Amino acid sequence: MHIVIITPEGELYNEDVDAIVVSSHSNGDYGVLENHLPIISTIDTGYIKLEQKNLVYYVVVINGVVENHRNLISVIAEDAFIGDSKETAFKNLSEIRKERIEENKKRNVELAKAERELRRQIKLTGAGNV
Amino acid sequence: MAALRDIKNRIEATIKTSQITKAMNMVSASKLRKTERKYRLFQPIKNKVRMMLENVLSSNIDLRHPLLELRDIKKVGYIIVASDRGLAGPYNHNILKHFDQIIKERHQSKDEYIVGTIGYKAFSFCKRKGHPLLNNESINSRDEVHFIDFQAMSRAFVQLYLEEGVDKIIMIYSHYVNTLIQEVKEEILLPITDLARTKTEAVSEYIFEPSAETVMNELFPIYLDNTLYGIILDAKTSEHASRMTAMKNATDNALEVIRKQKLYYNRARQSQITIELTDIIGGANAVT
Repeated sequence: MHIVIITPEGELYNEDVDAIVVSSHSNGDYGVLENHLPIISTIDTGYIKLEQKNLVYYVVVINGVVENHRNLISVIAEDAFIGDSKETAFKNLSEIRKERIEENKKRNVELAKAERELRRQIKLTGAGNV
Repeated sequence: MAALRDIKNRIEATIKTSQITKAMNMVSASKLRKTERKYRLFQPIKNKVRMMLENVLSSNIDLRHPLLELRDIKKVGYIIVASDRGLAGPYNHNILKHFDQIIKERHQSKDEYIVGTIGYKAFSFCKRKGHPLLNNESINSRDEVHFIDFQAMSRAFVQLYLEEGVDKIIMIYSHYVNTLIQEVKEEILLPITDLARTKTEAVSEYIFEPSAETVMNELFPIYLDNTLYGIILDAKTSEHASRMTAMKNATDNALEVIRKQKLYYNRARQSQITIELTDIIGGANAVT
């Protein structure tokens, strides 16, 4: 059974696994083993647990689609993060997202400040009158 | 004397300008390559989501959804995608001009439309012109495009659509044809009318977890986000292309100006030398 996790930034995970558990905040959990029937489901906020021999990984997914067809599972997610446990992965992902939003806000403010400063300097030096 | 120094100063300033524009040209070129690659890689993802949605729809042919239905149009939502920064040649101007024209042609009053903007230029333009805005804060269109930047706005628009606040959502953006050509394009984001609903083989085999309707309800926003993301990538690519061309032209123009100024400089220097020579010769003649 093969799984591919894709986000807009590129492929996050592309590997053979033994079993997965798809867990979504709104829809509950279900597991997928080898030769599962073709299935499509969505995840709003949730995680996918990947089991590979004795290794277990968690991929936290935001707004994703899971499709299983002929033992190829494709997950298309808006944002995803991989980690050893779901708590750490989720924490990391939400931190990244929060940082991004805050950075955007900061940029807006800084931009406005810089623009005002530029206008003031132009007026001061009279550069526009040459 | 003063004229000579002035020209020299001007030449130096122009050389510096040309260096800056050249650097900007190269920065844009590398960014263009990166964004174009991202845009190309994104196409299969977009198609895949679309295919899934079509699969869900085909397995429930008579399923109805408000996002798919055409309504009488009372109010139209526009999403303009422009850039944050200027110096991109006619890029922003073309988009905003096009938008202005649409508003003039199709709408009599400000109650008939609402605008969502992506990019600072579009935001300040709409604010200046007094168009009704959905977002009261500029939404960044940064060079590395991320879903999360504009998700709040796209969700707000879909929500507005579902509540029948708007009956149609049109995107206005610049489509990337090649490095030299970018054209302003309109695309109808909502309602979704171009999805195939034909039954293909093997489709009915799919199980939907927990139900087809739930999957569809969640798939629609994802599909819309994807479409929007694709469009913004497209717009971003053309922004870089436009800036690259503009900066190339600016560098060429600067070099042309430098060439002309050098000619003036040499001419002025020559005439000054001539004057000095005549002075010396005149003086010498007077002595003898």
